[in-house]
This record gives sequence, structure tokens and C-alpha cells, in this order.
Amino acid sequence: METTRRNFMRGIGATVGAVTVSPPAAAEEAGPRWAMVVDVRKCIGCQACTVACEMENAVPGDQFRTIVSTYEVQDGDAVHGYMLPRLCNQCDDPPCVPVCPVQATWQREDGVVVIDNERCVGCAYCVQACPYDARFINPETQTADKCTFCIHRVVAGLLPACVETCVGGARIFGDLNDPDSEVSRLVRDNEVKVLRPEMETDPHVFYIGLDPAFQGKVEGAGTLWRPKGHDEGAPEEMEGEAA
Amino acid sequence: MDVTATEIINVTRDVSWLPWAVQYFFLIGVSVSAFLLAAPGLLFGLGGWQRLGRVALIVALTTGIAAPVALLADLHQPFRFYHFYLYFTPWSWMSWGSLFLPAYVGGVVVFWWLSSRPVFAAQATRGGLWAPVRRVLAGGWLPGWVPGWAGFAVGLFTLAMALLVALYTGMEVMVVRSRPLWDTPFLPVQFLLTGLSGALGLVMLFNVVLGPRARAVETRANRLLVATLAATGVVGLAWFAIGVTGLGEVHARALDQVMDYPQWQMTAVWAVLATLIPLGLALWRPAGTGWLTGLIAVHSAWMFRWTVFMGAQAVPKTGAGLYDYAMPTGSEGWLGIIGTAGLWLALVILIDTLTPLAGTPAARDAAAARPARRDYASEGA
Repeated sequence: METTRRNFMRGIGATVGAVTVSPPAAAEEAGPRWAMVVDVRKCIGCQACTVACEMENAVPGDQFRTIVSTYEVQDGDAVHGYMLPRLCNQCDDPPCVPVCPVQATWQREDGVVVIDNERCVGCAYCVQACPYDARFINPETQTADKCTFCIHRVVAGLLPACVETCVGGARIFGDLNDPDSEVSRLVRDNEVKVLRPEMETDPHVFYIGLDPAFQGKVEGAGTLWRPKGHDEGAPEEMEGEAA
Repeated sequence: MDVTATEIINVTRDVSWLPWAVQYFFLIGVSVSAFLLAAPGLLFGLGGWQRLGRVALIVALTTGIAAPVALLADLHQPFRFYHFYLYFTPWSWMSWGSLFLPAYVGGVVVFWWLSSRPVFAAQATRGGLWAPVRRVLAGGWLPGWVPGWAGFAVGLFTLAMALLVALYTGMEVMVVRSRPLWDTPFLPVQFLLTGLSGALGLVMLFNVVLGPRARAVETRANRLLVATLAATGVVGLAWFAIGVTGLGEVHARALDQVMDYPQWQMTAVWAVLATLIPLGLALWRPAGTGWLTGLIAVHSAWMFRWTVFMGAQAVPKTGAGLYDYAMPTGSEGWLGIIGTAGLWLALVILIDTLTPLAGTPAARDAAAARPARRDYASEGA
């Protein structure tokens, strides 16, 4: 099913310029440049986006195309949470693309970086090259996997699953080439930041309200939660209970 | 005010270059380095290097054949290896590697065959199960020009490929800017120097285990080991100095990522000891300590790659702290390492059976006395 969907995506890739997700006439000539704005101030860390992505893209349970990194921050006596949605940044200069030895990953004209998982040899060079830990080897397909901005939905006129499900309206998706789009307005009117700007990858996921302490590699104690262990342990516990 | 962050939820990415990759980079690094050690004696006929060259060639051959198997196993879709050739990508170092690697391994095999012809011929006269194979491999059927200039040409070609393999393996990792621990021009040099140490280590071990122990080989190898270890130390110190003084931004970031963790501090202490101890031993007694300095050198070359690949992959690119890594017992972990080591050992036994390092006394004397280039010509005649 995964393969079929991706092949379908490739097939319709050439016609993406003609698909309308409310683009004005001027933008249609240039073609869309899809981008996302994440308003960190609105994220409540509910992980609805994480779950929606898992369901929409049939991502194996121990892997994620997107996740809301959640931190407990102690500032003196005060303790608060910090939520940071992460996904592929659909960079304009994606370091994952040139390293691929078989050209199985490339950037479409609309800016979205995609993978042909029938050509991918699973060498994981792109996984190493991504500065955001956004790529992984899908244990079911044994090929590289990542967020595609749900391009199969976008070309059908729908929003990415994570955007559609976000209860706080923290994820905003649209065409950056359209000056009247909401993402263009938000990028224009706010002080937006990107993750790891020192990598000079020109990310197209922009953050509003991003604390600089979380812009790069986060200083602090790492998570102890390993989804793989959790996933493997669960059925055994259930079996034990049933017995 | 003191601010601390604790990660509650985040993705833990699995290592995607598995222990197979450690094995590949170790084996291929040792192989190309061993060929560099074999070249002065066997290719250019340099006096005093022939015996060391023969031992080094067996190291280069056995590790060189085993290395691509480990590399193939590290692919998550190994049966798609032909995509490398269907979709050649000149801007990817890995793609270039798919050309250099088979060219190098093929070159080593042919060069070993041509340079071992005197041994095959001598061994064939003894009879036994392998005699027919040895007679064929002795190459009496070859046209006269093949063992002469063609043998030398194959050697030169293989030498060029060895250098290109050393270049591509280093550059392939160095260009990964997302990992500061890899993003350093020191890395290709460190791969080459530690590869040389590993190759010298195996030369000294083979010198003890496979053949009549040659003191000259041990002494020369130990002296070369002193030079490579000293150079490794200097390069390592330079990397550390540039990072700790902040002269290099990437190097400083690399150090920042790991220097506060006890496991990395232990690794640093280990690396210093693994450099200084064999260096001291080899300086103190270049003859007689080869088996020990050799063992330490081989272990250092392997551990360097383990640290570079598995250690660096345990550093999250954006998340806090370090990822925990426990090596699985299956093919993604221990089985991969043991399997590759077993394959290499089987190759050593096979090659040593076909061309015993001791050889026949006549062949050994001939190999030691005459430049390899003349050997090809005389054998072909």
C-alpha cells in the first residue's frame, strides 16, 4: 500500500502545478513552494499530529515522521513544559539529496523532498546527512523514510494530516510563493526562526516563538523513553494479563 | 538563573549504519593500508621489503575480499546493489566508492595471483589435493608478457585504486556536516593512519602465527608502527586542540557534544593509552614484542572506527543527551561482527593453504632475494 501510494505520488508529481490549493493566479505561474509555519506558542503537546501522521502514512509504530518533542524546563524554582513539533524541514538546500548514491531522493519543483522507495538501496547515507534526525530506515520497507508534507493529500487539495488534526492551530501549511497565503503573511509579520540555521540548509518549516535554547541540539537530559522497547513490551504484557 | 531541560518525549533514532559498517571500514582500511605496505617490496622491488610485502599482501587480500561482504550486509536492501551501477551518481562519494571498491579488490586478487605464481609452482610439485589447482594458478599457460609488464601494471592500478578507496572512505564520512564529530578534514587522515596501524598489527600477528617468525619483518613493522602511532597522536592532539581552544567552530561543537559524558572521557583515556602503550613497547623492543603491539594496534584500529561510527550515531542531532545503544545479538549486531570475522578467518585459512606464507624454501629465498618485477618476467619465461 505504501509503495503504491508513493508511486502514485511520483506519477502525479508532474501535474502538481495545476492542482489548486487556493493559489492566486500569480503564484500559479511560478508554481507553489510548500512550507509550514509552526506556532510553538499554540502547541499543547497533545501528539494528535504524531498519531495522525502515523495513521495517514502507515508509519511503523516505533518510528515517526513527525513528533512533538516535549521537555520539562526548570528555571530556578519555576517548572514548565516546552513543546516543539519536529518534522522534515523540506530544505531548499537539502543535504540528504546530493549524498544519495542512486538518486532515489530528490526535491520536487514545489520544494518537497521525496524518496523513491523502489530505487532506494537502504544505505542510510541520507539518514546520516539530515541535520534534523528527520529521516529513518523504515523497518517494514527497509528503505529511507521521512515526512513528505503528505504530498499525496496536498496534490488532492487536502492539508497534510498533521495540520488538519492540530487542535491548537499550531501548524499552518501553505504556498510561500503566494504572497497572500497565510504562511507568507505569518513569515512576513512575525520573527520566525528555523532549526539549526548554522547548517545553512534553508529550511521551509518556520517557527514562531521558538526559544533559541531549543533551536539546535538541546542541552539537557535525554529521554529514557524508547518507543521500540515500549512497542515490543506491550503485547507480552497483554498476553500475560490475558493468561 | 540556572535553567535545565529534561526531555520527556522525543524520538530515539536507531543507528542506521550498523556494526557491519564498522567491520567494513575496518577491513577495507586495513586492506588498502596493507597494500600500501606490500607495494615497496612486491611492486617496486625495494630491498628488505619483500618478506614484509608478502605478509602484507595476504593481509590486504583477505581483508579486501571480506570487506565488501560487510558493506553489502550493511545495506538495508542488499539485493538492490546493482542500483549503484544503474544510477551512477558522480556527486556522491558513495557512488564513486561503488566503482573504486570492486576495482581495488579485483586488482588485489589478480596481483596476489601473479605475485604468488612462484609459490604455486613450487607447491604444485609436492602433490596433494590442491596440486591441480596450484598447477593452474602457477600460470605456466600464460603468455610471456602477462607476468612481466602486465603484472606490474596491475600492481600500479591496484595501488591507485587503494589510494582512491582510502580517499573515498574518508571523504564519504567527512562530508556529513550534520555530525560535527565526522565533519573534519582530520578524519580521512585518521582513517588512513589507524588503517596503517591495523595493517602493521596484522602483519606482525601473521608473521608470528602463519609463518616462520621473521625478526626483520617484526622489527621493520614495529618501527613503522611507532611512526604511524606518533602521527595518529599528533593528528588527534591537533583535532582536540582546535576544538578546545575554539579555533575551529565545528571542532568545538563536536567536543561540546561529548566531552562531558563519562563514556566519552573513558574513550579518550583509552585512545591515549592504546596509542602510547604500543608506541612505548615498540620503541623499547622492536624485536620480540610484535605479537603484543600487533594485537593492540589491531584493536585500536577497530575501536577507532567503532567510536567514530557507533559513538557518533548515539549523539542526537537535535535532541538532548545521548541515545542509548545496546548491541543486539542478531545480524544487526554481534552476529554481523562475528560473521564477518569468521569469513575473514576462513579466507586466511584458505589463502594460507594455497600459498603458505612459509612457502617452499626455494620460493621463499627467491621471493626474498629478487625484486618482484623480475620474478614475474622469469616465471613467465
